[in-house]
Amino acid sequence: MEMIKIINLHKSYDQLEVIKGIDLEIKSGEVVCIIGPSGSGKSTVLRCINRLETPTSGHIIVDGKDIMAPETDINHVRTEAGMVFQQFNLFPHMTVLDNVTLGPIKVRNMGKTDAEELGHSLLKKVGLADKAKNYPEQLSGGQKQRVAIARSLSLKPKVILFDEPTSALDPELVGEVLEVMKQLAAEGMTMVVVTHEMGFARDVADRVIFIDQGIIQEDNCPEQFFSSPKNKRLQDFLGKVAEH
Amino acid sequence: MEFQFDWPVFFETIPMLMRGLKFTIIITLGGLGAGFLLGAFFGLMKLARHAIPRTLAIIYIEAIRGTPMLVQAMFLYYGLPMALGLRIPPLTAGIIIIAVNSGAYIAEIVRGSVQSIDPGQAEAGRSIGLTRGKTMLYIIWPQAFKRMIPPLGNQFIISLKDTSLLMVIGVGELLRTGQEIVAVSYKAFEVYLAVAVVYLVMTLSIARGLRILENHLEMKTKR
Repeated sequence: MEMIKIINLHKSYDQLEVIKGIDLEIKSGEVVCIIGPSGSGKSTVLRCINRLETPTSGHIIVDGKDIMAPETDINHVRTEAGMVFQQFNLFPHMTVLDNVTLGPIKVRNMGKTDAEELGHSLLKKVGLADKAKNYPEQLSGGQKQRVAIARSLSLKPKVILFDEPTSALDPELVGEVLEVMKQLAAEGMTMVVVTHEMGFARDVADRVIFIDQGIIQEDNCPEQFFSSPKNKRLQDFLGKVAEH
Repeated sequence: MEFQFDWPVFFETIPMLMRGLKFTIIITLGGLGAGFLLGAFFGLMKLARHAIPRTLAIIYIEAIRGTPMLVQAMFLYYGLPMALGLRIPPLTAGIIIIAVNSGAYIAEIVRGSVQSIDPGQAEAGRSIGLTRGKTMLYIIWPQAFKRMIPPLGNQFIISLKDTSLLMVIGVGELLRTGQEIVAVSYKAFEVYLAVAVVYLVMTLSIARGLRILENHLEMKTKR
């Protein structure tokens, strides 16, 4: 079953068209990595899926609901499609536990005790059970991002959108975040991951997509994608990445 | 005749000023309390998506900031009754003027503080399904409020001092009380100095109180 269906998506900022017609289907349980040069529009596509960016035209259907339809409750769609940000965006005035329980309490109207029980179990899942009472600024980048993943899981979403989740991390902290993401993938979570982590894409993704100049240039299984890319731009891109 | 500072008059004046001080404090606190509500309301309105509330907020803010408070006071107390046919008591008028006046400045403080919060915070709030209102209430406002404290403290001090202008509409506040004492004693130097000292003690106390509050809030998130 399709979890996400994107039909002929366009997005312009004033005169500048950054997304020039994208069609994409993502099945339930699939892990799809999106790679591409900076400015290629890959993050924009992701941010259109939960309508943090409003598409200029086209349709996006998330779990059967057209996010552009007037009758669709976008806040409900966002509980079904969680998001993890490059800059974590934790709430600095709340404890780690409060960051994770805010959604369940204020969106789902869950009782405080139940929400905290859920919060503790999610923090345990990301390996941060002992940090519940800490404030975000007391955590390392990797820990912050794991809290952000726990927060996105707190509404029991059907899909999680990752927007360059490891790009703001020190190199030695990338691994702990990728581990949590691998674990989620193994549990069958549907994931769309915009990333520069080629290793992760190769090992964990079911499909890898290359976006450049606002369109999908290649969409393939990781083996084919990395070993025998058909698209010329992708060949150049992988060549440049490999040099480093 | 050589001028001689009259210490006994200076010290006797201070307790006599307390009656006026009471009104100064009532007007300042009442006016700023209402002014904060007005400021929060219009400050958020200025950030609205729709043009109508935005325009209303701009009209209010610009009209108040662009005219002297003394003129606003005269207009409200002497001008408006001519049109409406009802007279507002001086104390009430004083509170309204401070509220409306400080509200315009506080609206800009609120707007600036809210806008200074990283847009990623609102995105994170919206991404977990919070409505705009709840995102403001639970995520943006608490963070913005912390940033409002220093400029609000500044406005507190300004409004406190501005209450002295209300003597023109006959509010028996601190300066007017001083003026009444001078009318009897003719000791203008000592009395107005005493008045100034009372203002200074209050403004310095507010500044100090705010520093303590800021440090306290800083500690709370750092721990």
